[in-house]
Amino acid sequence: MLSTNRRQFLGGAASLAVVAPWAKVGLAQETQGVHSILNDLIRQYAAAASSMTNPSVRDLYEQDGFQDYLEAYPVGDLVDGFVWEPGMGAEFEGPYSNLPIKAPFTDYIPLDEGPVLDPDRTYRIGFVFHGFNHPWLISLADTVAWEAARHPNIELEVIDAEFDDSRMGQVIDTWITRQFDGIVLWPAREAPMGPPVDRAIEAGIPVVSLDRRTSSSAISSEVLGNFYANGLQQGLYLKHVVSEGNMVLNRKDLGSTADSIRTGAFLQAIGNTDGFEIVGNYHTNSQRSLAFDATADALQANSQFDISFNTGGEEALGALGAIEEAGRLNSGSSGKIIILANDDAKEIMANIRSGAIDMVAPYTPLIGDVGLRALIRHIGANEGRNEAPPRLIITPNLPMVTRTNMTIEGVQTLTPDEWLYAYGPAVE
Amino acid sequence: MGLAEQSTIQRVENRPRLPDRLVVGPDAIRAAVLIVLLAAGALLTPGYLSLENFRILLMSVAAVGIVAYGMTLVVISGEIDLAVAGTAVLSAIVGATLLDTGSPVLVIGATLVTGLAIGLVNGVLTAFVGIPSLIVTLAMLGISRAVANIISRGQASYPDSVAAYLWFGNGKLLGLPTPIALLLSIGALMVVLTRFTTFGPALYATGGNTKAAVLSGIRARSVKLSVFMICGVLAATGGMIESARLSYINPAAFAGLELEALAITVLGGAALAGGSGSILGTLLAALIIGVVNNLLNQLGVSLYTQRVVTALVILAVVLPGYKRRQIAK
Repeated sequence: MLSTNRRQFLGGAASLAVVAPWAKVGLAQETQGVHSILNDLIRQYAAAASSMTNPSVRDLYEQDGFQDYLEAYPVGDLVDGFVWEPGMGAEFEGPYSNLPIKAPFTDYIPLDEGPVLDPDRTYRIGFVFHGFNHPWLISLADTVAWEAARHPNIELEVIDAEFDDSRMGQVIDTWITRQFDGIVLWPAREAPMGPPVDRAIEAGIPVVSLDRRTSSSAISSEVLGNFYANGLQQGLYLKHVVSEGNMVLNRKDLGSTADSIRTGAFLQAIGNTDGFEIVGNYHTNSQRSLAFDATADALQANSQFDISFNTGGEEALGALGAIEEAGRLNSGSSGKIIILANDDAKEIMANIRSGAIDMVAPYTPLIGDVGLRALIRHIGANEGRNEAPPRLIITPNLPMVTRTNMTIEGVQTLTPDEWLYAYGPAVE
Repeated sequence: MGLAEQSTIQRVENRPRLPDRLVVGPDAIRAAVLIVLLAAGALLTPGYLSLENFRILLMSVAAVGIVAYGMTLVVISGEIDLAVAGTAVLSAIVGATLLDTGSPVLVIGATLVTGLAIGLVNGVLTAFVGIPSLIVTLAMLGISRAVANIISRGQASYPDSVAAYLWFGNGKLLGLPTPIALLLSIGALMVVLTRFTTFGPALYATGGNTKAAVLSGIRARSVKLSVFMICGVLAATGGMIESARLSYINPAAFAGLELEALAITVLGGAALAGGSGSILGTLLAALIIGVVNNLLNQLGVSLYTQRVVTALVILAVVLPGYKRRQIAK
């Protein structure tokens, strides 16, 4: 368990809110409105999903019930008509990771630096999540802590529940007893966190969830990522570069939001291209070594292996390792096994740059600041100072990253050098 | 009845009965199971018995197999080491802190010494302080994982700059991929240690009945300390092999490694009560698990179903041994 407060960060975090100029924004990019473009494509492909012609894709789509998950996943507009552009966001050093960070959404639901709400009061806020041993989750915590450190009358307590739902529930109950002013959480699973969130709301404490959802219908706000745009873009890219091939899927845990939405959206995108054949479908559960072994076995079982679809970054890197070890990266019907990834870790970007991985759909962890600002608005609304933010806070859809700039169904891709928001340690 | 007649009768009675003659050793049963699985693989998937598939199969079990060797020694001694995953992680992370030096001696040395040190602490607390190994190693599992996170700040490291480190995952030794060569050579070393040195009988005696072992002059506490230290070094070696293979030192790695290694150890014939088990059995068990996973992957069976099948295979192989022990008692 780790807990800390703002004062501890002020020394270590070189917090500096700067809207850095995006050096190449004026190039061949026309990314303004990428959120809307991708939402339109999501609607278009969702409508076509009912008439999939590819039997291999359709069978898996129906077998795993993707339609149900996709229909329930919110797709919509940004708060206050916000339009995100590449290059936006503040740069700082992560309070926990000590790594340089450029967070994309620090201008979304903006809040000036300095005391918040009643400057004579100290607001005690709890942030509970899982995973101080996970680069994506540390980056999430970095952004929550950075935002808290910008406001001298916020005292933030951060606790790692270590993937123990009951511990997370106990932490929330403790904060209710201690009459905290607000709670931000990253729940691993939906159902177990509903009751504790409901108890906090009943006690008059606003609660905001990040990335994943809880089963609470009373929660103040949910800050959601862009899983749908992730999977869809993987499919769009694949269709753009090839029209046929044998593919192997490395997926996250069955039933997880990331797997259901990304894989489902990917299948929606390729469901009417008849040349694709799914020859392997594994749940390697975000474990690189499992993805490595599954891909090695799939390569052995399939002399014709053309495409590796991966629901996450760990899966993609495990698949790449196995493909390279087998000496088959430059094989397949297109002359190279196409590797599709998610999650914009710097390690993935290095492999996009080298050409080993073909595309990645960014899923940024740098959204904790949005959650904290939304929570402060909720606290302000309870005090009658401002309006409450909406229940669903959708974060901007982000464009895919490819080795070179491409335009795919109206989506203009960025190169790794143009993508400034990659997380995790630098990789040569 | 004359003496000659009596002697003949005794000889006849002492002759093994037919069922006893048909009884084969437990390792033979494991070998038979392995052969059956390989035959099934050959029937179900083309090219299953190819050299390339054997390479894939052995590479996938090399690291966990080496960790399981250490676990086997500890279990034979009548103890348990649940800290192996933490040991593998912390050792790798400590080694990673020295990657910037570019010195293979420092990086690999620090990795192995950390494993040794953790084993030493586990051994001292168990054998000399007298705390049950279940408690000691469970605590050490938590401590070592937490310290690994503190040191690494939860971030992964990349050992690409130290070629000698990567050799453990991607190099060659005696013409074989290094992980496979290490799996076999360390296995051979452990067989020699347990069967052809005085340490072997002392180990089995300690695990079988520690008090009796001590009364017969065996330094049981030293034996236990030694196996924990060996287990620590082997866990660090396994962690290094897997990290080198993935070119990625991850503080969140090896989730569940302790249970995987324990399952292989038990499948290999070691009794948790101590005093029995063999390195050959552990190697065969690792291969059985590897073949099951490799075959099911190639058949496109999901991870969840694989776990069910693996558990059933473990039960099917282990059950007759337990029944036999019960009858013997």
